[in-house]
Amino acid sequence: MSDHIVSSFDEELNEITDGLINMGALVLAALKSVEEILKNNDHNLAQKIIDNDLQINDLGQSIEIKAFNTLASRQPMAFDLRLVFSAVKMSLYLERCGDMCKGISKRILKGDLTEADSPNTIESLVILTNRVYENLSLVLDDYAARTSEKSLEVWSSDSEIDSIYSDILMEILNNIKSKPEAIEALVPLFFIARYLERVGDQATNIAEVTHFIVTGEVLTDEKEIQIENETTF
Amino acid sequence: MVNTIDQIINVFDEQKIRKNEALISCSGVNVFYSDKQALFDVNLDIKEKEVTSLIGPSGCGKSTFLRCINRMNDVIETCSIEGLIKINGQDIYDPKIDVVELRAKIGMVFQKPNPFPKSVYENVAYGPRLHGMFINKSDMDKKVEESLVRAGLWNEVKDRLQEPGTSLSGGQQQRLCIARAIAVDPEIILMDEPCSSLDPIATAKIEELIDELKVNYTITIVTHSMQQAARVSQKTAFFHLGHLIEVGETENIFRNPVNKQTEAYVTGRYG
Repeated sequence: MSDHIVSSFDEELNEITDGLINMGALVLAALKSVEEILKNNDHNLAQKIIDNDLQINDLGQSIEIKAFNTLASRQPMAFDLRLVFSAVKMSLYLERCGDMCKGISKRILKGDLTEADSPNTIESLVILTNRVYENLSLVLDDYAARTSEKSLEVWSSDSEIDSIYSDILMEILNNIKSKPEAIEALVPLFFIARYLERVGDQATNIAEVTHFIVTGEVLTDEKEIQIENETTF
Repeated sequence: MVNTIDQIINVFDEQKIRKNEALISCSGVNVFYSDKQALFDVNLDIKEKEVTSLIGPSGCGKSTFLRCINRMNDVIETCSIEGLIKINGQDIYDPKIDVVELRAKIGMVFQKPNPFPKSVYENVAYGPRLHGMFINKSDMDKKVEESLVRAGLWNEVKDRLQEPGTSLSGGQQQRLCIARAIAVDPEIILMDEPCSSLDPIATAKIEELIDELKVNYTITIVTHSMQQAARVSQKTAFFHLGHLIEVGETENIFRNPVNKQTEAYVTGRYG
């Protein structure tokens, strides 16, 4: 898309977009750290995630103020309106992702993962973290490139994350049944899985927003059915 | 007499068809100023009792198009028009058409308020008197009051009816011009940038008035303010270099236009 006649308008939109990409990068870094913590039970890294969450929140706040000011001063239209309007939603979704990572870290700091004695569950949580990371990374790539193909892919594949999550819950429940004495160490794993699944939901929300920015089309359940039909052989 | 279900359905269908019919229907409209072509094959339908905005950069032909609807281009010697413009199914360029009568059915409001150098009352009474609509003074008084009420000006001028129209503020003068336009009971009101010389408060009052007037009139407005088009109109047509590029529901034009040129214009990427 060509530049605006008023170049400072382009600068404002770029600041909003760059801010969201940076916010997304911080969330992805936090997710990577979650993976490390799960593997190594690294409490220092967990504390670092909690500390860094402030940065994500500050960035989100500054994006919201910029979007608010742009709406008031430029009265954007069409693509620009979709971009600025969606920036407010997207910053909220990313901020929530940061909160989820912080929540995971707090749970980990409260106890000791090794006490759960559930290497298989930990391994499944690592897989879930990777999957969520991958989805978030794909939608953020799409957002930066102003494309929507990857977002559609993520949007229609969220059920896979839900399925991994359900399996993990079953695993934890079975562990609780077989080792009731380890319940205190096992319950945090349940919360970690829940937080990760919610990050997956936010990635789906961001996919919807990106698709809307790029195409102007709102993704609906009907659209989901249409995509399923098109991709089912 | 009791109507059968079929009869009721037929009446309903007829109403539906009538509702979907365009009041103003333009097809293949070309306009030339001498040998310079200003409009190229414009096809546009304007529905009854809706507000349609015409947008586009200066010189794109939107005002030329507006002036075709009430044959105001007739007064420009070098201007020639091809194509078909129908109002209520009637070709308005048919030689048998009485242009004075046609213009009585189509009110026009200009960029700059242009009240006559007469009293507020006479400004509104002028049109009906010219068309011989009211002989009785009390009927004329009623018409003047009704028009000023509809134009949202009555309460501000009811005690100043004999003062010159030019003594009113800019916004009041523009509403006086709207009252003057509606006093002859037009079906259509054409507005050519009616708010461009008004402050935001006067603009808001005109926009509020447009909202109220659309219940009774079909309004076509030329505006340079994208936000105004988005606020007041149900349909928006984008013109560029004499071509009608895109027309559609206003919401779609400003949310997600189909044409790239429209998108470039409404987002400010276009000169």
